[in-house]
Amino acid sequence: MNLERIPNEEKLSLCRRYYLGGFAFLPFLWLVNVLWFFREAFLKPTYTEQLQIKSYVKKSALGLIVWVAVLTTWITIFQHFRAQWGEVGDYLSFTIPLGTA
Amino acid sequence: MRLLQLWAFDFCQLLFMNTSDSEEDSYNERSALVQSESPTIPSYNQDHDMSLPQETDSKRRRPVSSGLDEPGPVERERASTPDGEEEELTLKYGAKHVIMLFIPVTLCMVVVVATIKSVSFYTEKSSQRLIYTPFEEDPNSVGQRLLNSFLNTIVMISVIVVMTIILVVLYKYRCYKFIHGWLILSSLMLLFWFSFMYLGEVFKTYNVAMDYPTLVMIIWNFGVVGMICIHWKGPLRLQQAYLIVISALMALIFIKYLPEWSAWVILGAISIYDLIAVLCPKGPLRMLVETAQERNEPIFPALIYSSAMVWMVGMADSSNPGSGESFTIIYKYFFPQDNEMLWVKLGLGDFIFYSVLVGKAAATGGDWNTTLACFVAILIGLCLTLLLLAIFKKALPALPISITFGLVFYFSTDNLVRPFMDSLAAHQYYI
Repeated sequence: MNLERIPNEEKLSLCRRYYLGGFAFLPFLWLVNVLWFFREAFLKPTYTEQLQIKSYVKKSALGLIVWVAVLTTWITIFQHFRAQWGEVGDYLSFTIPLGTA
Repeated sequence: MRLLQLWAFDFCQLLFMNTSDSEEDSYNERSALVQSESPTIPSYNQDHDMSLPQETDSKRRRPVSSGLDEPGPVERERASTPDGEEEELTLKYGAKHVIMLFIPVTLCMVVVVATIKSVSFYTEKSSQRLIYTPFEEDPNSVGQRLLNSFLNTIVMISVIVVMTIILVVLYKYRCYKFIHGWLILSSLMLLFWFSFMYLGEVFKTYNVAMDYPTLVMIIWNFGVVGMICIHWKGPLRLQQAYLIVISALMALIFIKYLPEWSAWVILGAISIYDLIAVLCPKGPLRMLVETAQERNEPIFPALIYSSAMVWMVGMADSSNPGSGESFTIIYKYFFPQDNEMLWVKLGLGDFIFYSVLVGKAAATGGDWNTTLACFVAILIGLCLTLLLLAIFKKALPALPISITFGLVFYFSTDNLVRPFMDSLAAHQYYI
C-alpha cells in the first residue's frame, strides 16, 4: 500500500488504527507505525492532518520504547537467573539449552 | 495508451494436512494465500488477457478486468502492428520487473536453504506423513518405492485438482465469505503454528534458552502484524517480506513431510498439471480468470506477490478471494500519462515450489554445486517464462519451465557433475 496515493484523512485513520492496535501487546505494530509514518509526519510539508499524525507517531514511539525496556529487562533477568531458579526456571522455559548447568 | 494485462493466478498448494498436528483440519494453503490482500502474484493463468484499452484514461486505473472486456482479437491486432516504441518500452519495463521478481524468489530460496543447512529438524525423516501421501516409501525395493511415489503423486494431484475445482465453484457462486474464512484460517495456521514450530527448532539448534512469555510475545506480534499486513493494509515492503516468509515456511513443511521420491515426482506432476490447467480452455483456473474478468473484479488479491506497488482505484477495496493452483503470471502494464506502472505478478505457489526444489537439492544433494545449479536453473526458467510472457502476453504457467530445468539440473549435477568434480579434486586437476 502506497501512502502517496491515499488521501490525508485515510492516512490519519490508518495511523490512528495502528496506534490503537498497538495497545493489544503489539509493540511491533507500534514500530511499524513509527517507521511507516515517520516521513509523513516529519519530513513532508505541512497539511491539515499532519499534526495529529505526528502525535500518534510520537505516542507510538513512546510506547515502543517502554515495551523495549520492559522486554529487555525481563530477558536479561531470565537469562541470568534461569539456572538459579531451578524448577520455576524450567517451568518458564520453552527450550532449555543442553550441556549447561 | 496501452494497457496490457496478463492475468496470472497462482494457486498454492491447497491442502496441507499435517498429521503431526494430530488434527484433521486441513487448511487450504492456497486459500490462505489467496485471501491475503497482498497483491501476490497470481499464478500464471491460462488466460492471459491482453487488454488494450484504446482510451488512455488516466482515471481508468482499474485493474485488468476493466480492459479485459474488450475484444481480444482486435487488441491483438493492434498489438501486433509494429509499434516499435511501445513494444520496446514493454520489454524494457518487463525486464525491470523480471529483475524485481528475482529478488523475492532468491530471498525465499535463501531462507529455505539456510534453514535446511542449519536446522537439522527439517531434514530428519519423521514417521509422520501428510495424509496426502499415504503410501510409505520402502527403501528396500526400488520398484515398490517408485510405485508408491507415483501413487502418492496421484493422490496429491487429485487433491489439488479437487480443491481448485471447489474453489472455482465457490467463486462462481459468490461464496466469498467462505473463501475468505478459509484463507484467513490458513494464514492463521501458517503465521502462528508453523512459525512457532520453526522458532522452536531454531532455538533448539542454537541451544538458546527461551522462556514462554518472551516467546508468546514474539509469536503474537509476528502473527498479528502478519495478518494485518497481508489481509488488510500495511507497508508494501513488510507485506512482501511476510509473503516471502510464509512461502518459505510452507516450503519447509513440504520438504519435511513429503517422502523423498514422492517429492520429486510431485514436483514434476505439478508442473505438468500447471501447464494443463493454465493453457487448456476448460481448466479451472482459466474459468476463474474469465469469471473474474466478467465481473470486472481483480482476481485474487491474495497470494500474489507484486513487484510494483501500484494501488489501483479498483483494487483497493476488492475483496476478491483468490487462490491459485496453477501458477500464472499476472502481468499488468499500465501506461497512463503520468504514471507508468508495470506489474508482474507471480503466485505464491510458484515461490513455494521453487523453494521446495532448491531446498530438497540442498537437503539431499551432495554439496553446494547441486544447490547452486538448481538455483540458477530456476532463475533461468523464470527469465524464459517472463520472456514468453512478454511475447505472448498471456497468462502463463510459471512452473513448468523452471521446474523442468531445475529437475534436469538437479539429477544431472548430482549424478554426473559431482563425481566428475570429486575426481578432479582428488587428482588435483584444476579446470
